[in-house]
Amino acid sequence: MISPRWRRILAPIFLSLLLLVSACAPEAPSRYDQVQQETSRRGAEPAVAKDATQGSEFNKFFPKSAPGYQIVPAQEKKGFAEHKVNKGGKNVAVLSISDTSSVPSAAAKYQNSTKKISGYPAVEQGSQTTGILVNDRYQVKVSSRDPSFTPQDRVAWIAKFNLNGLERLN
Amino acid sequence: MSKAIFELVDELPKGGITVMALNSLDFLLPGQWQNTVGFDNTIRTVTGETDESLIQQIGERAVTLYNDKSQGYQRAMWLYDTVDSASGMLGTAALANRIGQDTFLGFLKNITPKPENAQSIDLGVKLVTEIVAFCQINGIPGDSVGDFLAALGDYSGESLMRMAALVCFDGIIPLGPEFAGKALDMLKGTNPSELEGNQTFNGVKDLIPGGNPTAQLGFITQSFDSVKGWMTNFVSSTGATRERLLGGLKGFIDFTDDKADYVGALLDMNVKYYRHTGVQTLARRLVERAYAEL
Repeated sequence: MISPRWRRILAPIFLSLLLLVSACAPEAPSRYDQVQQETSRRGAEPAVAKDATQGSEFNKFFPKSAPGYQIVPAQEKKGFAEHKVNKGGKNVAVLSISDTSSVPSAAAKYQNSTKKISGYPAVEQGSQTTGILVNDRYQVKVSSRDPSFTPQDRVAWIAKFNLNGLERLN
Repeated sequence: MSKAIFELVDELPKGGITVMALNSLDFLLPGQWQNTVGFDNTIRTVTGETDESLIQQIGERAVTLYNDKSQGYQRAMWLYDTVDSASGMLGTAALANRIGQDTFLGFLKNITPKPENAQSIDLGVKLVTEIVAFCQINGIPGDSVGDFLAALGDYSGESLMRMAALVCFDGIIPLGPEFAGKALDMLKGTNPSELEGNQTFNGVKDLIPGGNPTAQLGFITQSFDSVKGWMTNFVSSTGATRERLLGGLKGFIDFTDDKADYVGALLDMNVKYYRHTGVQTLARRLVERAYAEL
C-alpha cells in the first residue's frame, strides 16, 4: 500500500513521464516527408515557374459544349487550366492545359513517344489519362472520370481542342 | 510551420460528431458525399489510378503546390479552419443568450447578441468565406460572385455537402424555413459596428474583400442576396424542413423537442463541417491539378 503522501508525489512524476514519452514518440514516417521538407523550407523553389503562362490564356483553346456534353470551367491558376466534361449532370472526364515550364519532367516523357494525336507527340499516362505536348511546352490532357469515357473518347476529345491556336501561343 | 497537406488529409476523422452530422444530411443528397479520408486514398479515388509510383508523383506535386503560399491553397485552408473555430464561439454566445432568456440569469441577454441577428451575420460570413476560399483554390479573382454562382450550379461531392450543411445547420435549424429572407433582412439592418462585434467575422475579416467593415458588410449582404435564390431552391428541391433535419440528428444527439433551440448552438460548437469538407475539397483540387501537370 502506498501512502497518500507518496501518491501525491508520484502522480505528477508519472504524469510528466507520460507527457515526455508521448511528446517524443516519433510520428510514423510518410512517403512525402522528403518533398515536404524540401518544399516548405525558407527559400524553397516556387511550385510554378516565374514565366509560366497564365491559366486564363488557355481557356479559349478548350473545346466548347457539344450535344449531350457540358463543358464547365473548373480551375484557372498560373500555368494551368482545367475544364470538366459533364454528361447528364455527371462528371465523366476532365480536360486540362498546363505549362510544362514548371514541371520539366512532364515534357521530357514525350521524348520517347512513338504515338501521335493530331500530329503532336502523345502518351498514355497511368490507366486514365492521355496527353499530348504542343510546341514542346504546353501539355494537353484528357482524363477519364467514369468508365463510360474510354481511351478512344480521350483521343477524340484531345483533337477537339484548338491545338493550332495553342501552338501559336508564346 | 503549418501542417503538411498529407497530414491534414490523413488525420481527417472517419467518425465522430462532424461526420455523423454530415451523414444525417444524406437523405437530402443521396450518395453525394462519401467521407473520403487519407491522402493516398484521396489520390486513388480522384484519379482512379493504382500504380504506386504514379501515386507518389501525384502526391509529391500536390504537396509542392500546397506549400507554395503564393498559390492560395494555404489561405483557403486558413479560412475553412478559422470560420469553424470562430463560429463555435458564437455557439457559446448563443447558448449563453438562451440561458439568459430561460433562466434567472436574465441579465445575460444584455451582454450577448440576439441569436437571430448573430446567426444571420454568421451565415453571411460563412457564405462569403466559401466564395473567397473557392476563388483562392480555383483561381478566380477574389470577389467574383458571378463566377462563384456559375460554379455553384456545378458543385458536387463534399463541396455540395458543405453548402447543404450551411443551409441546414446555419440556416434552417437556427432560423427556420424562411431563413434566407430573414437573414437577408437582418443583414440589411445590420450596421458595421455590429459586424465588427461578431466573432465569426472577426476570425476571417482579413480575407473578406472590402478593406473596411462598411464595405465588407456591403459585400456580405450583396453576396448573400445573389446566392439567396440558390439556397431557397435547394430547400424546395430537396424538401429540407426543420423537423426532418432534427429527426435525422436525433439518431445521434439526444434531445427533446422543447430543447431543439439548443441544437443549433450545440452543432455550432461541435460540428466542424467547414474544416472537414474544406480539407477534402482542397485535397481533391490539388490532386486534380497535380495529376494534370505531371
